[in-house]
Amino acid sequence: MSGVAVDQLQERLKLLKERFFERARGDIETLSGFARLIDQQQMPMSELERCYQLLHRMAGSAGTFGLPELGQAARAIEKQLKALLESAASADVAGDELVSVSAEVASEIRQLATLLEKAPDVVTTAEVSQAKAPAVAESYDGAHGMQINVMALGHTLDYLHGLLKSLAAYGFVLESGSIDRPDDFAEHLRGRTNASILLCVDSELGEVMDFREQYLPTAEHRRFPVVCIGHESSFESLYRVAQQGATAYFCEPLDLPELAERIESLALERGSRPQGRVLIVDDDVELGEHYCLVLKQAGIIARLVSDPSDLMSELSAFEPDLVLMDVQLRSYSGVTLARLIRYEQRWLGLPIVYLSSEDNPENQLDALSKGADEFLVKPVTDDYLVRSVRIRCYRARQLSDLMNRDSLTGLLKHSLIKQEVDRELARCRRAGHISCVVMLDLDHFKRVNDTWGHGQGDIVIRTLANLLRNRLRESDVIGRYGGEEFLLILPDCEPTVAVKLIEAIGKSFAELVFWARDDSFQVTLSAGVALINDFPVSDQAIEAADQALYQRKRGGRNGVTLYDPSAVGMKS
Amino acid sequence: MALVTEVTLNKVLYVEDDPDIRAIAELALQDVGGFEAALCSSGQQALEVAPEFGPDLILLDVMMPEMDGPETLNKLRNFPETRSTPVIFMTARIQSSEIEEYLALGAIGVIPKPFDPMTLADDIRHLVRERVQR
Repeated sequence: MSGVAVDQLQERLKLLKERFFERARGDIETLSGFARLIDQQQMPMSELERCYQLLHRMAGSAGTFGLPELGQAARAIEKQLKALLESAASADVAGDELVSVSAEVASEIRQLATLLEKAPDVVTTAEVSQAKAPAVAESYDGAHGMQINVMALGHTLDYLHGLLKSLAAYGFVLESGSIDRPDDFAEHLRGRTNASILLCVDSELGEVMDFREQYLPTAEHRRFPVVCIGHESSFESLYRVAQQGATAYFCEPLDLPELAERIESLALERGSRPQGRVLIVDDDVELGEHYCLVLKQAGIIARLVSDPSDLMSELSAFEPDLVLMDVQLRSYSGVTLARLIRYEQRWLGLPIVYLSSEDNPENQLDALSKGADEFLVKPVTDDYLVRSVRIRCYRARQLSDLMNRDSLTGLLKHSLIKQEVDRELARCRRAGHISCVVMLDLDHFKRVNDTWGHGQGDIVIRTLANLLRNRLRESDVIGRYGGEEFLLILPDCEPTVAVKLIEAIGKSFAELVFWARDDSFQVTLSAGVALINDFPVSDQAIEAADQALYQRKRGGRNGVTLYDPSAVGMKS
Repeated sequence: MALVTEVTLNKVLYVEDDPDIRAIAELALQDVGGFEAALCSSGQQALEVAPEFGPDLILLDVMMPEMDGPETLNKLRNFPETRSTPVIFMTARIQSSEIEEYLALGAIGVIPKPFDPMTLADDIRHLVRERVQR
């Protein structure tokens, strides 16, 4: 577009935005009328419906007109009303009947006006472009690739500063702050949506916990983990630290790799959202849909199967973490269905929970012996349902992680990482981007094991796994390929970029000092990189990366070699 | 539809009950995106306009009074002109299960609301390229 056209467009956008402002003002006036009704407990069902629709419209449009905060706030209220409406609808509340709505909702509605008024008057392109971002702001990044922040807190930070310096090599982002001036950085910390960990010494733990309680989010899943460092390892001092609520405790002399690893896993834990996929099998469609809605509102992905003959195809299509099943579905028995599910190898480990009014323990036991895992006895409250499903999904995920991930490093196992290369090759072809595969190997690892013992060898491997997780992007895939071999997939990454990236990681790794008794040692790594797109099948891409790695090993190790298809070493 | 290798994408029909969103969508589609756009305020109106207009792509708001997006889609499928026209749903709900539901209805994709008027056209082209052309 020419400059003039852009100006005209901006002008028109501005006009539209002003028009939206006007309407939003009117909407907010209408909404505050609803807020009054709520306060007076005079809210009829029909008006609540209107209020909901107004909020829904605002949630879907405000962001487009450069008011993302207004849209998000409206959405938050909309969600609460939706839940209310649904439970009212299932109780057959008539349109003119009064519905009780919490005063909290009324005050949230009133706050919308503030959000509108503080919005800037003029639209710029930048503002409009930002409008899109907010929808997913609630989520934390889950896997590797996220930047982990470590915030050291205390009065005197000299000791912690020294510790931060040693932690720097592991790829964390490090900061420190004095609890004497909590306001300064509490705001800064609250704004963090990525994984952050607090670090302190045991003598100041109490104050740090107070600070966390007072200034930081207190909801269980949003709470910042606190890692405490001390000098004492007696039972009494450990008990005291645990009582004060530290998430983890490390005693001097510190095992740095272990500390780094714990920080890493705490951040991962905090990052993983308590979500899951639940397949509900119930012939009572209304009840089943009600369960679905309740679970969806809690962020759980739920799907209903009301006809048991669809069960197996739905299972394959949906791949749930958990099945929630009525014990008797018309002519079908849930117990028999559970047995049928277990006929398929891949569903042997799938948790099946019965929803049933069966409270006779003998009969329950009979059902359990036939393939189900647990009973939820009807009637279940919505809250109880959500909580028990959440816990079970979490356990199920942990379990499948145990099966799919390497126990030492937490990385994908050999067979799975190979599958991932297949998938990436298919993606490359579909989307037309370029991706690399990297084979990475520790140099002279046998010497490490022979000289310092296998325990030290394990520490080296874990440390490299952590470093890789910290330095690679979320979209990258990391797997442990063999003993000291790692396979990485770097989607949408040019080979030259991949080489530079892996060289930088190799350099950081070579700088790490491992301590064994009173001695220290360092380890280097070699890597081979190949362009996935160059090969018809994924195995050949892996083979090529392996050849490049072999060349690097012969060429003096400690570095990265890019596979050259025209080189002599290429196999036909 | 899956066999089509090159889809022309000039005419876009957007069905949306909110007049403000229609106005900004018109800008986003015509001025920013360079499409020929037709805007309808209801599913009913879309049924009248679509066969004549012959869109290459239809954008449907999900939640509309009287005839909602999925219902409009079903009815559009009865016309020979729009039997296989790619459809994208526009929705302020972004639950993945619902997205799956819309895809199951035959939509090629879902664009979350609020959308960004400066990138809407690109998002559409991207979805069409990914899902329809191969």
